[in-house]
Amino acid sequence: MGQTEAMPRPPLDEPPAELRYRRKLAPLRSLHELWNARELLWSLGEREFQARYAQTWLGVGWALVTPILLMLVFMVFVNRVVNVNTHGAPYSVWVYLGLLPWTFFSSAVSRGGQVLVFESSVLNKVRCPREVFPLSSLVVAAYDFALSVFVLGVLFLITGYEPHTTAIWVPLLLAIQIAFCAGVALGLSVVVVFVRDIGQAIPLMLQLGIFATPVAYDISAIPHQWQPVYAAINPLVGVIEGYRETILYGLQPPWRLVIPSAIASCLYLVGGYLLFKRLEPGIADVA
Amino acid sequence: MSPDGTIEAQRIWKRFRADRVPRSLRDHLDFSRPRGRGWRWALRDVDLEIAPGESVALIGANGSGKSTLLKILNGVMDPYAGHLDVHGRVGALIEVRTGIHPQLTGRQNVYIYGALIGMSRREVAQRFDAIVAFAEVEQAIDRHVKFYSSGMQMRLGFAVAAFLDPDVMLVDEVLAVGDAWFQQRCLDKLREMMTNGTTLVFVSHDLAAVQASCQRGVLLEEGRVVADGPVDSVLERYRMAVEQSARLIDDSDDPYRVVAARTRAPDGGPVMSDGTLTIDISIASADPRAVSACVGISEGTAAPVIVVQRDVMLAAGTSEILCNIDRLPLPKGRYSVWFGAFETHGNDLVPWRPISDVDVHGPELMPSPNGVVRLAPVHVTTRWEIS
Repeated sequence: MGQTEAMPRPPLDEPPAELRYRRKLAPLRSLHELWNARELLWSLGEREFQARYAQTWLGVGWALVTPILLMLVFMVFVNRVVNVNTHGAPYSVWVYLGLLPWTFFSSAVSRGGQVLVFESSVLNKVRCPREVFPLSSLVVAAYDFALSVFVLGVLFLITGYEPHTTAIWVPLLLAIQIAFCAGVALGLSVVVVFVRDIGQAIPLMLQLGIFATPVAYDISAIPHQWQPVYAAINPLVGVIEGYRETILYGLQPPWRLVIPSAIASCLYLVGGYLLFKRLEPGIADVA
Repeated sequence: MSPDGTIEAQRIWKRFRADRVPRSLRDHLDFSRPRGRGWRWALRDVDLEIAPGESVALIGANGSGKSTLLKILNGVMDPYAGHLDVHGRVGALIEVRTGIHPQLTGRQNVYIYGALIGMSRREVAQRFDAIVAFAEVEQAIDRHVKFYSSGMQMRLGFAVAAFLDPDVMLVDEVLAVGDAWFQQRCLDKLREMMTNGTTLVFVSHDLAAVQASCQRGVLLEEGRVVADGPVDSVLERYRMAVEQSARLIDDSDDPYRVVAARTRAPDGGPVMSDGTLTIDISIASADPRAVSACVGISEGTAAPVIVVQRDVMLAAGTSEILCNIDRLPLPKGRYSVWFGAFETHGNDLVPWRPISDVDVHGPELMPSPNGVVRLAPVHVTTRWEIS
């Protein structure tokens, strides 16, 4: 290409309005790109999981410490004081089933909310679908979750209590749990980039959040007519109650809670994803 | 549909916040602070059309928008206005260490960094041995990367990125680190990619490397394209611009300063290669003083090709220094003459600055083969014997 001819345009101070660059919100194409980046998603999650426990003596054992410790705390303090009605199931197993989804949520959101800030140097240099960063924290949480499920098995052995076959409903409940956590992590991560204060508030909100979730107490503490609303606002309600009813008591999932939770999780997921996509173009400018 | 490797950027604009944003609660509560939004345009109306296989250098001073443009081409940043189409797979060598995680081994990092820049696990596995060999980290591949030297980390990052086999390769200042041997191999690798038809966009302040690896230059000034053409002519223009701005510095109040400077041949004719160059310098001094006078000759603002030095006694008032350089070893071209006066223990009395230009007449410098970096032009007479 040779020397360009004399500048054809007069120099402007601002671009003409019709030139404004707008990235089109194309959810289908974005999802396709995300699908293509699935290996990256796993790699990032794996990287974080490996790096987190590298050079520790207990190694991945640390993934189990939080739920086990909380379970003991609830057994020793809450159960003695409040005396929760677990309908015959051992309190340890009962509370652990609440702690499992809660720990998943807490781990996914605490890292997922901050991940774009932590990874800002990579975001500025490498082109990849940005969603993989918050979603990778779900992968990390899933690793922890899988290990914690192993402890659940041990608990059943120790207590001699047997899970019921209605546990086949678990995958549905798991899907609700993952959708909700993904939605929150996506939405939160991108908002935190622009309003850093929220990042500071995340650990605090998570500490309070465990009391806004029926982990240690029974859903009957909430007035009966408000329970579905509660389950819609906090989809973990439907998930936790579902786990308990199906695994511990051999019942169908409590649909009056699970359906609002399922609908709400889908809304959280879609809303979080759209918010992410809407704010995504600005990330590199401020990160 | 344009073929892979094409870059079509039309009328690209990009701006950044330039106001003093209230950063804390205290700033928000301070109502006396001036408010209002200021923007700084980093790119203004930039057109860049690059055909597959072209190698283009983005040249410009710091803050002229080179890196911003590269980020936009890379897709990590959206322009404010304009149309942008980059066809094909884009690879970027931009601070290659950022994707490297110190807590993981070299092997794990190769896979993760590969995934980050868009390679599948299978692709990385196929190239793994070549990557490790290129980075020269065979012995350390299963060691944590935090125990690597920074050079090793950089080599690892570069190697992964280099084996992506992209259609468009964006290179920003990465060659600044790493030893000379590795730099040359990086350039070789880039050239190999170019021979295979990869489009190259190169940003570097190392003008010699730019000249060696690119055919076309695009000069940016305050976010505008001011020149676009063969790399040699664009570089020349850039060097002149930098030189002029360096000479604009006015230090007329200094107690020691250069009052006048002139270059000539002793016989009054043109300065010739292999001839004698005479440099006349007038220096004003506040007091009599022994100094070490340094004269240098450079091509543009690059490091000088020649530096000569002599202890002189400056008188109070104006002193004349005349420096003759015999058998001038410079090929045809325009050079800058630099001067500085230093105290015996090294403090500068007259700072090291370009003071004049000299046009040397004589034989043209032979062009070096593509990809061979020549540090400075030196005219030598050669005698070859081929048997």
